Amino acid sequence: MSVVGSMNTFIADLHDLDRLVEVARSRYSVYAPVRRGRGYVFSKIEGMSDTDLRYNRTILPPTKIFHRPKEVLLRFQLADGPEFGEVVEVEPMMIFGVHACDLNAILRLDRFFTRRFEDPYYLARRRGSVVVALNCNGPRDEYCFCASLGTGPTVYGGYDILLTEVRDRMFLVEAGSEIGANLIDEARFRRASMSDMEAKKAVASTAKREFRRYADFRSLSYPVIEVLAHTVWDEEADKCFSCGNCSLVCPTCYCYEIYDTLDMDLNSGFRVRRLDSCQLYGYAEVALGGNFRKSRKARLRHWMVCKFGGAAGGELSSCVGCGRCIFYCPARIDITSVASRLREAV
Amino acid sequence: MTNPYIPMKAEIVSIKTETRDIKTFRLKPLGGKLKFEAGQFVEVSVFGVGEAPISISSDPDVDDYFELSVRRVGSVTGALFKLSEGAIIGVRGPYGRGWPLKESEGMDVLIVGGGCGAAPLRPAILKLLRSRDRYGRIELLYGARTPSDVMYMEEFEAIAEGSGCRVLLTVDTIAPDNRWRYSVGVVTSLFDKISVNPFRSVALVCGPEIMMMYAVRDLLRLGFKPENIYLSMERRMRCGLGFCGHCQIGRKYVCLDGPVFSYSEIAPMPDKIV
Ligand SMILES: Cc1cc2nc3c(=O)[nH]c(=O)nc-3n(C[C@H](O)[C@H](O)[C@H](O)COP(=O)(O)OP(=O)(O)OC[C@H]3O[C@@H](n4cnc5c(N)ncnc54)[C@H](O)[C@@H]3O)c2cc1C
Ligand code: SF4
Ligand code: SF4
Repeated sequence: MSVVGSMNTFIADLHDLDRLVEVARSRYSVYAPVRRGRGYVFSKIEGMSDTDLRYNRTILPPTKIFHRPKEVLLRFQLADGPEFGEVVEVEPMMIFGVHACDLNAILRLDRFFTRRFEDPYYLARRRGSVVVALNCNGPRDEYCFCASLGTGPTVYGGYDILLTEVRDRMFLVEAGSEIGANLIDEARFRRASMSDMEAKKAVASTAKREFRRYADFRSLSYPVIEVLAHTVWDEEADKCFSCGNCSLVCPTCYCYEIYDTLDMDLNSGFRVRRLDSCQLYGYAEVALGGNFRKSRKARLRHWMVCKFGGAAGGELSSCVGCGRCIFYCPARIDITSVASRLREAV
Repeated sequence: MTNPYIPMKAEIVSIKTETRDIKTFRLKPLGGKLKFEAGQFVEVSVFGVGEAPISISSDPDVDDYFELSVRRVGSVTGALFKLSEGAIIGVRGPYGRGWPLKESEGMDVLIVGGGCGAAPLRPAILKLLRSRDRYGRIELLYGARTPSDVMYMEEFEAIAEGSGCRVLLTVDTIAPDNRWRYSVGVVTSLFDKISVNPFRSVALVCGPEIMMMYAVRDLLRLGFKPENIYLSMERRMRCGLGFCGHCQIGRKYVCLDGPVFSYSEIAPMPDKIV
């Protein structure tokens, strides 16, 4: 729902949206889904012809634009020191065409990175950017299952601008923030008619009925014994390669490793963080050869229970139904079918 | 917004060798004080090598310095061992939830330590002895592999001399020519000798997880309530801030919810020994 109201609801075709991108480009780098091989990636665009708003999903989710797969945290110098200081790389960004599942993942990470402590790197990038969300008119393909989790296909808040394709390549445009409203204003869109607004409602109500894939993760949590002890983990672990693809592509996976790198001069260097995955053997390794998740089964179970919302991250690291992990798993491990096996037991 | 990843500088003012692989570093924070509670930890930075979580092992009521007792096991601890007095390192914290000392007033306290596990227990012992009259009986059981692996030896003997706390020491094995006046056997073998009342006592336990497993088993058998047995847990940990994910045990973050947990909180969680 737009916080600004129907007076601020507009209608735009791709030419109009081009003007929005044009206006935005004077202040932001605009990232949108761009075809790359057989997939899509969020990449810098110059106009609407670079992007495809009918994309199914990007390989990496937009959360990983804010929480980068690899980034420098601190710079240090050892001589006469040590001396050190932060390195925060911020680029004002517009993220264009974000689906409901991915927007919900962003909103979860917003809360995650502001719990007891605040993560200045994520927040600097996030707070300096605008999100243009895009409603889905149904599942983008057979992997989507946001509808059953309540994380899509329609967006309800948390965006700066919201687009809904109400007719063939005609988009209803709503502002969700002051910044969004100003951008729309500058792009000079036509006001939406009553029938455009009715069309959006129709899209939203049919969209959620078209999903074939379904998931219910409620109470699939630590420390429910039926979940922990289920034989499905042995069967799935037999197939799993521990490649970590699933967590790399997951929009709510944020775990990372921190390490120092030293330059050739052995004096200056960086403290770096890089995405890590609980599916990888080293993740839970401790001193003197200890490892609390040595078995593949324990790692796969931990990852999935985390995605069910039943691990330490709770709801904030839980699944939003984007379908990426299912699509990119080389072992064809499917979180929705594991969940339905578990459901029979709880 | 202050950046929680930026450490504060601290100078090593003295180094004491405890055992062949444990040293206690006394550190003076530069530009600020470090206020902490018994059982909390810091992230220690040796720039160019990395960070490691280390418990603060000194008296929480002393704030012009603090101490870390470090066992050499890997890269950061190895690099610390190469430093000498005057060297500057980074620390950030303190982090985590420490021992429930306030909540335990009026009760007996049994402290059970194994190996390097004495480090996070030491501030608790010092704090308990400072407010001795608020607690019932206090007993300290500590075990190490051999006599030369015993940390804080003179200090434990001094505590035993005083009247406030009974101290029972043990080692797993002694060499034939070794002089050792105390017990031989694993730390749980000392449980026969305790005089605290299990029904109105808390137990503060830290050591290798396998040792904690045996300790918990015996404490429960003696009549300790699961919610009165407290364990300081160790996991791989990077940020200490509740972000990097590594220290999770089931639904708990060691860095935010722990490192001290009651046994009843941690017992149902997976992927642990205890
Ligand atoms: C809350 C808490 C309090 C602690 N308190 C103390 C204390 O008071 N004193 C103390 O001595 N210790 C303490 N520890 C333990 C200490 O943090 C670890 O021993 C730590 O690993 C030491 O860091 P390091 O860099 O020296 O070892 P590392 O170099 O990290 O090596 C330790 C082991 O971890 C594994 N490892 C590390 N990095 C990687 C990697 N990138 N890939 C794969 N495997 C890897 C290896 O198996 C290696 O043998 C505490 C831990 C916690 C969580
Ligand atoms: S993507 Fe599939 S094979 Fe790879 S770690 Fe995840 S579940 Fe295992
Ligand atoms: S668990 Fe899989 S389907 Fe769910 S949000 Fe993560 S990648 Fe998408």
